[in-house]
Amino acid sequence: MIMLYFLLLPLIVVFIAPLLRPKGATYLSSAAFLIPFFSILYCIFKGCPAEIHLMNFAPPIGEIYLNFDFISNAFGLTICIVSAMVALFALPYMEHRFEEMELKVESEFRRYIFLYDFYAVSMLWLVYSGNLILLYVFLEITLITAFLLIYSYGYGNRKWVGLLYLIWCAIAGVLTLAGFIIIAFEPLNNTLALSGITTVGKLAWAFILVGMLIELPVLGPHIWLPWAHAEAPTPVSALLSPLTVGLAGYVLLRTALIDYSFIEDYRMYILGYAIFSSIYAGFSVFKQTDFKRLLAYSTVSQMGYVLVALCLGPFGLIGVVIQYMSHAFGKSILFSSAGGIIAVHHGLRDLNKMGGLHDSIPAISNAAVVGFLNLGGILTVGMLGEFFILRGVVDTFLRPESPSFLGWTGSLPIILAVIFMFILSVWYGFWTIRKVFYGKPKDTKRLEISRYFYVPLFIIGIFSVLLLFPPLSTMLIQGLNAIPGLGGVVP
Amino acid sequence: MELAMMLLALAILTLGSVGSFKYRWIGLCTAIVALVVGLAACRSLYYGVFIFAIGIINLFSLVGIRSKIKGVDYGLVGLMALATMYIANTGDFALVLAALVLVSVPTYILVMVREGGANVEVGIKYITFMVFATVLFLIGAVILAYTKNSFDGLLYILGYVMLVMGLSLEVGVAPLHEWVPDVFTSADPIPISIIASLAKIVPFFAALWILIYTASTLTSSITIFTAVLAAISMFTGNIGALTSKEHARVLAYSTVANMGYVLTCLVVVIKPTPEFIGFALMGGLLMLFANAAGKIGFFNAIKGEGAYSPLMYLLAFSFIGVPPLMGFWGKFFILSSLVKVGLFMAEAGYVYIVVAALIVINSAISIPYYIRLASELGIGWETNLTNFIAVSVVIIILITVVPPNWFFEGMRVLAQTIGIGI
Repeated sequence: MIMLYFLLLPLIVVFIAPLLRPKGATYLSSAAFLIPFFSILYCIFKGCPAEIHLMNFAPPIGEIYLNFDFISNAFGLTICIVSAMVALFALPYMEHRFEEMELKVESEFRRYIFLYDFYAVSMLWLVYSGNLILLYVFLEITLITAFLLIYSYGYGNRKWVGLLYLIWCAIAGVLTLAGFIIIAFEPLNNTLALSGITTVGKLAWAFILVGMLIELPVLGPHIWLPWAHAEAPTPVSALLSPLTVGLAGYVLLRTALIDYSFIEDYRMYILGYAIFSSIYAGFSVFKQTDFKRLLAYSTVSQMGYVLVALCLGPFGLIGVVIQYMSHAFGKSILFSSAGGIIAVHHGLRDLNKMGGLHDSIPAISNAAVVGFLNLGGILTVGMLGEFFILRGVVDTFLRPESPSFLGWTGSLPIILAVIFMFILSVWYGFWTIRKVFYGKPKDTKRLEISRYFYVPLFIIGIFSVLLLFPPLSTMLIQGLNAIPGLGGVVP
Repeated sequence: MELAMMLLALAILTLGSVGSFKYRWIGLCTAIVALVVGLAACRSLYYGVFIFAIGIINLFSLVGIRSKIKGVDYGLVGLMALATMYIANTGDFALVLAALVLVSVPTYILVMVREGGANVEVGIKYITFMVFATVLFLIGAVILAYTKNSFDGLLYILGYVMLVMGLSLEVGVAPLHEWVPDVFTSADPIPISIIASLAKIVPFFAALWILIYTASTLTSSITIFTAVLAAISMFTGNIGALTSKEHARVLAYSTVANMGYVLTCLVVVIKPTPEFIGFALMGGLLMLFANAAGKIGFFNAIKGEGAYSPLMYLLAFSFIGVPPLMGFWGKFFILSSLVKVGLFMAEAGYVYIVVAALIVINSAISIPYYIRLASELGIGWETNLTNFIAVSVVIIILITVVPPNWFFEGMRVLAQTIGIGI
């Protein structure tokens, strides 16, 4: 029950923080996410009740409860640390943005912090929702709060971009809802409580998959993402890209854990599409001239990993969880770095005007390197993610007992494509670092920058490295392995 | 007892209207008292409370307008609210039709209300359409009732079509929506807020009641007619609203779209039906309440030249169908009923799934214009009547933050009155 109070804490702070001055509100918001962060860590090490009952609803909605398994804890842990750190980063950034927009800093900050906290806390509650209707409610709150933040404080044609984001993601959300409703009316289910759902029909799966492919997004319906991520105020980009889009992966993971048959039936199509999407978006990164837009394309590429992992059986499903975490850590650092550059270098986003920025802002530059290490899966938790994805490939296509066994000759193209996908991330990562932070500096003068711009990023970076090593990694992986459908057990 | 209390409420209303010729405030006070008495007589409390709240807000919105019939206009709104409450109490065919007429006729006068005079031109246009609509509806209903006792397939289809056409004309379902943009843009926003809110509930309720009461084996074949009308209405409304600039015109087309959503509730009336109807009834009513709250808020904001911005956004999000606001639950239960009947009908159920998909698509199309409305009508806080009304309607749409399990329970009573068990 104590976990319920820890989750309620940030929800209460949503309404208290706007009453305080910017600094107080920021610290309070950050603390409100750090406290559940530590409580989730405690849960991971010491264990806690798997479910907390909230209320019963008439069929077909069924029981509404909070789900505290290791999947939710892994997602929750990530959301808490990223939200807490980005809240700190946002203090000088948003003050600077309000001044730039000629708004009253103090009164506007109240509105901003309300929306920010509400946005972050709705994601946190989403991953703990034990009922699909509750999950959908938080999915939509996430969408609306992010939309309002983009609409109010974004860059460029922010109103148009906000609407673009809202329309695409609303379509995604409602398609998913249609899938949920079909699940609810399956005679075997007659409920939307995760614990009571036993089957997901093909029609429901198709609705959910299409909806979540728009939200994820993959190549094709990704049109909204580069605009939304590039034009959103940077703290919002630093939640939108790392946390929100990956939640589509969470929804697909939960659906896959209930009924994996759809993925088994269409595995090769989805896998092929995911690998193509990831590689195409990876190459698109090289074509970008706007730093935030570049990061947005990297998100499309990384979300391709999530979809690839989803197709790769029990080990791949662990890969979905770890990949979400590593991408979230990496991308929150990178978007914050982009924000730091914008704030310090007066709106600088054009890659052609960058180069050698390490000389003027070494702290941000170093943080960005850690960010790209996460994306590339080098010496961070991303390494574990890539391990499980490769393990999934081997387990699915090379294990003779597997129904999708292809043998060496059949599976070699898949293995090579997946490895190339990984290499591409490292490639564009180091290419970007060289282009932005190294090379011939335009200005060698070292600038004094606020600690808020880099300390939170290093904290995320350190945590992402710690997660690679025991005891954190072992506890997390053991916990995930114990969930039926993940790790050793075929779902 | 219920009937006696309703009669008492009507008597209070009549006396108040007479008294209001001398002191106008008497009209307002007696209308409120009559609504309280009416609420006490309501068999389904949740339904009654919502109608009561919408009625009271409509009454207070009239305070801001100095019309020639000041005082009597309160009586007319009171009468509409009482008829809307009573329709959920009765299982009598004649009284259902009487309630329809009692809600329809006061709007003929209300539509002409404006500051210091009477908007006769709008009145004539509106009345012409409404009389035609009411006659179609009544004849359709009577034919359907006749077929219940002595079934004739051709007559049944004729009755069904006339009833649905009458309903469509009455509430503004495309392609019979021609009067809606004209009247909504040229009349005063306050009476239009009443016509777009309170006046929409009874026609739907009556149509649903009659269709369930007279459902036959032919019903499932003819529902395609209603489904097509609903689809046309959703698209016409949303595309019309997207391409309109004037606020009242956007809201007029939004009404056309919303009526399309609600019309899909009638699509699920097939025989035998109870379990689908439960969701359809609940979804339809929540949709109508959300539509009423939103329209009152927006039209009052037009009248008051803007209202508090966050309130406008909340109303817009409710219309779009963002959970946990009321508009979402309306669409959710309508979708649920369609999916359920679609799965039940197996191969023949694809029509219902297609209609559900059309609702989904149309919800997305509607996003830009609702956000534009909220953005253009939203201003800073001022303590005035417009914001008081906006706060009141926002409270209504926020009630469903508590998931409307309770409303479902309340619907059981209502369903029993209609003659179905859910």
